[in-house]
Amino acid sequence: MMLLSDIYLWLAYSRVSTRKINKLLDNIPPAELWNSFADGGRYALDDGTMSKLKRTRNVEFIERAKQYLETNHIGYVTRVDPLFPTGLAQSEVDPPFALFYKGDPNLLRTDCLAVVGTRNASQYGKYVTDKFVEELSERFTIVSGLATGIDGFAHRAALKSGGKTIAVLGSGLFNVSPASNIGLFDEICRTGLVFSEYPPDVHGTVYSFPQRNRLVSGISKGVLVVEAATKSGALITAGCAAEQGRDVFAVPGDIDKQRSVGTNNLIKQGAVAVTDGRDIMSYYGATSEKKKHNTVELNFDEEGILHILEGGEHSFDSLAESSGLSVPELNAVLSSLMIYGLIHERSKNMYSVTLR
Amino acid sequence: MLAKINSYALSGLDGYGVSVEVDIHSGLPSIDVVGLPDTAIKESRERVRSAIKNSGYDFTPRKITVNLAPAHTKKEGSVFDLAIALGILCATEQAGIDEHKRPLKLIDDYVFLGELSLSGKIQRINGVMPILISARERGGKKFVIPKANANEAKYIRGVEVYAVDSLREAIALLDGQSGQPLVGSDIVLGGEVAASEDLKFVKGQYSAKRALEIAAAGGHNMLMIGAPGGGKTMLAKCLPGILPDLTEREALETTKIHSVAGILDETVGIVTRRPFRSPHHTTSKIALTGGGSSSHPGEISFAHNGVLFLDELPEYPRATLEILRQPLEDNVITVSRAARTVEYPANFMLVASMNPCPCGFYGSSAHECTCTPAQIQKYMGRISGPLLDRIDLHVEVDEVHYDELSSSTASESSATVKARVNAARALQTARYSNTGIYSNARMTSAMIKEYCALDTAGERILSNAFDRLGLSARAYTRILKVARTIADLDGSDKVLSKHIAEAVMYRSLDKAVK
Repeated sequence: MMLLSDIYLWLAYSRVSTRKINKLLDNIPPAELWNSFADGGRYALDDGTMSKLKRTRNVEFIERAKQYLETNHIGYVTRVDPLFPTGLAQSEVDPPFALFYKGDPNLLRTDCLAVVGTRNASQYGKYVTDKFVEELSERFTIVSGLATGIDGFAHRAALKSGGKTIAVLGSGLFNVSPASNIGLFDEICRTGLVFSEYPPDVHGTVYSFPQRNRLVSGISKGVLVVEAATKSGALITAGCAAEQGRDVFAVPGDIDKQRSVGTNNLIKQGAVAVTDGRDIMSYYGATSEKKKHNTVELNFDEEGILHILEGGEHSFDSLAESSGLSVPELNAVLSSLMIYGLIHERSKNMYSVTLR
Repeated sequence: MLAKINSYALSGLDGYGVSVEVDIHSGLPSIDVVGLPDTAIKESRERVRSAIKNSGYDFTPRKITVNLAPAHTKKEGSVFDLAIALGILCATEQAGIDEHKRPLKLIDDYVFLGELSLSGKIQRINGVMPILISARERGGKKFVIPKANANEAKYIRGVEVYAVDSLREAIALLDGQSGQPLVGSDIVLGGEVAASEDLKFVKGQYSAKRALEIAAAGGHNMLMIGAPGGGKTMLAKCLPGILPDLTEREALETTKIHSVAGILDETVGIVTRRPFRSPHHTTSKIALTGGGSSSHPGEISFAHNGVLFLDELPEYPRATLEILRQPLEDNVITVSRAARTVEYPANFMLVASMNPCPCGFYGSSAHECTCTPAQIQKYMGRISGPLLDRIDLHVEVDEVHYDELSSSTASESSATVKARVNAARALQTARYSNTGIYSNARMTSAMIKEYCALDTAGERILSNAFDRLGLSARAYTRILKVARTIADLDGSDKVLSKHIAEAVMYRSLDKAVK
C-alpha cells in the first residue's frame, strides 16, 4: 500500500499542472488515482499529462527522489502533513501537492504577511519597505518571493530587525533566481524558511514565477504592495490575494510616478491604503509596542536642520543656502542625523525626515 | 676624410651621447646610414642633401657612410639631421676647418640637435629638456638646438645653449662669427585661473565642490556619480585651479615628459600648471600607460603631478582600467618591451565620473530611471572592486535646478579654496616630513593608526555609521584618511567626530541600494 504522502510526492515530481490534477482529485481519492495508473489509467486528460504521470509512477523512482532530498538536506511537506499550511489547502489557492523547503518549517504555522513590489525599485521604495518591515516583523513573519527590488529589501529588512521571513521560490531550490540573491537565500535558509512547490532541480520558467505568487498570498493573512507599476508581478500577487480572500494593503504614491500607478490603482479598487506598519497592525487588532528609540543629544545645528527638514524635503544645495551653515558644517550635521537615523536621503541629494 | 660630430639620443627620459661619424671614400655615389637608424633617420639623407645644397654648399655625389655610434642601440627621430649635415660638410672640408685647412678642435665641445628642412632651416624637435638635463649630468657643456626649442631650454641652468635657425647659422657659430648663448630664465609657476575653470562660476553643487576641496587637499582619488548634464566634467576641470602650485622640481619633471612626447606648449616652454588629462574612453591601453616600439610615455605620465580625468568610467574597457591599479599604488609605470625597459613617473590624482545607471537617472529626483536592476548591476559591475578600493571619495552630483542656475549668490572663487588647500597641504608636509609620502591619501596603515586616532565620540559615530548605513569594511580606512584631510582643512590636530561624520558623506557607493 502506497503512503498518501508518497503519492503526493509522485504528483509533485510528475510536474503536471496542479490545476488539472486538483480537478481530478475532486472526484477521485489520491490512492485510487495511483492504483488506477497500474493498468494505464483512463482519464479525460491530454496525452502530455498522461505520459508524465505514467513515467513517474514508479515506487523505485519515488524512493530515489526521497533519498536524494535527504542527502541534500531538503525537507518536504505534502498535503497530508500536519505542517502543510491551512492557507494553502484552500481550493482557491489551487493547492500544491508538496512543498520542498530548507530552513525552519515551523514558520509555516506562524502569522504571515506578504510584502511585495516591483523588481525595479526606487530608493524611496527601499526606504518604505525597510520602514514597514521593521515594524511588521515584530508581529508577522514576512513572506516574499526572493526577487530583486522590493522582495529582496523586505527579506533583508526582516532579517536585519531580527524578525522571521519566508521566501517562496518560483523554481527549484537548486536554481535560485536571480543568482545575485544567492547570499540572501543562504541567510534565509539559516534563520528563516525557503520553500518551493517544485522539486529542487527544476528550472524556473515564465509560467512558474507567476505561479508561486498564489503561494505567497496563500500562506499570508494579507499582502502589502509597496511599489508597483501598471504591469507588475506584485499586482498578480494582489490579484491572487483578493481571489483567496486575503487582505490587500497598498502604499499610496505620487500620482505622476510610474512606480506608483499600480499601487494607486489597487487603492481605487478597494485595497486598504496604508502609510505605516501600525495601520496594518491595528487592522488586525494587534497593538505594536512602541519601540524604544535611543534618544540622542542633538546639538544646536542639528536641531536647526532637523527643524527645517520637518517642514519638507530639501536638497543639499538649498540647505546650504538657507541654513546659514558652512558646507563642511552642513555635511557633518546631515551625516550625523543620517547616522542617528533621524533623516534619510530620499533621492540623490534630497533629504527628508524619517517619520517615527 | 673622417668627421665626428656629437649629438644626443633619449631612451625614456634618460639620454646617452651619440657620435655621428661621417666618412667619404671612393665608390659609387650613395649615402648609407648605419647604427640601427629608424625610418625617419634613413629619410634624413634626402633632407640633408637638399638642405646642404639649398644653403649654398656643394653636394657633389660621392660615397658617404654615416655611422651613429654606439651602433647597437636603436635610434629614432629626426634629431640627428643637423649633426649628419655638419658631418658631411666637415668631411668634405666645407666647414669646421681653419684657414690652414686643419680641422677645428672646438667642434668637439658642441652637441648638435635639430631637424633640417629642405631649405636648410632648422626645425623644432622633441625632448630638448630631458636631453639637456641628462647631458648636463654627463658633463656636456655646449649645445646647439633649434631656435623653436629655445623656450624650454632657457630654464636649464649650467649649460651653454645656442639656438640657431638655419644650417648656415650653425656653421657661422663654429667659425666664431656669431653666437650668443641663451639667457637663462626663472621658472614662473601658477598664473591666472581661466574663467571656465574657476569654481566661482559653478552654481550650486556645494557638496561636490566641498569634495573637490577635500580631494585637492589630501590628494585623494575621487569618483563623481550623477545624471548626465549635472556638471561632473565642469567640476573636474576646476580641480587643477585649486590644487597647490607646482614646485619647480615637479614642473621640470612634468615638462620632461611633455617634451619627450612633443605636447609641450613651445610658446611657454615649460608646464606651469598642474596638467589635466582627459583621455577618451576609446583610448588604447598603450596610449594610457605608454609603450609601443619606442616605449613612449602615455596619458598617465602626461598627468604626472596633475589630474587624470576619466569621463564616463564604465565606458572604458575593463582591461584598460585594470592597468591603472599598479601605477596608482607605485606612482611610476615601468614600460618593458623586448628592446628596452623604461620607467616613467606617473604620480597622478585619479578623478573619474560616471552615471549611476545606463539611462543616467537612477536615484534622481527630477527624472525617473528606466533601467532594470540587472542593467544597473551590470553597469556598476564594469568597475572592479580593486579599482574602487583605490578611490577615497564618492561624490553624488545631481542636476542643478533652475533657481540655482539663476541665483545671484556669489560662490567662492578658486583662489580662496586654493588658499585653504595650501594650508592643509602645509600641515601634511610638516607631518610627513621624513616619511617619503606627501599627502594623507598615501598614508600607510601604521600611519593611519598613529595620525587618525579617534576619541570616544568619534568611535561611536563611526560604529553607528557602519551599523546604520551598512558600510563595507573597505570603507573603514578610506573614511579615516578622508577624515584626516577634513581635520587638516579645519586646522585641527585631532580627528573629531564631526570630521568622521563628514567623511561618511562621501562614501555613497558603499551604502548604495542593491
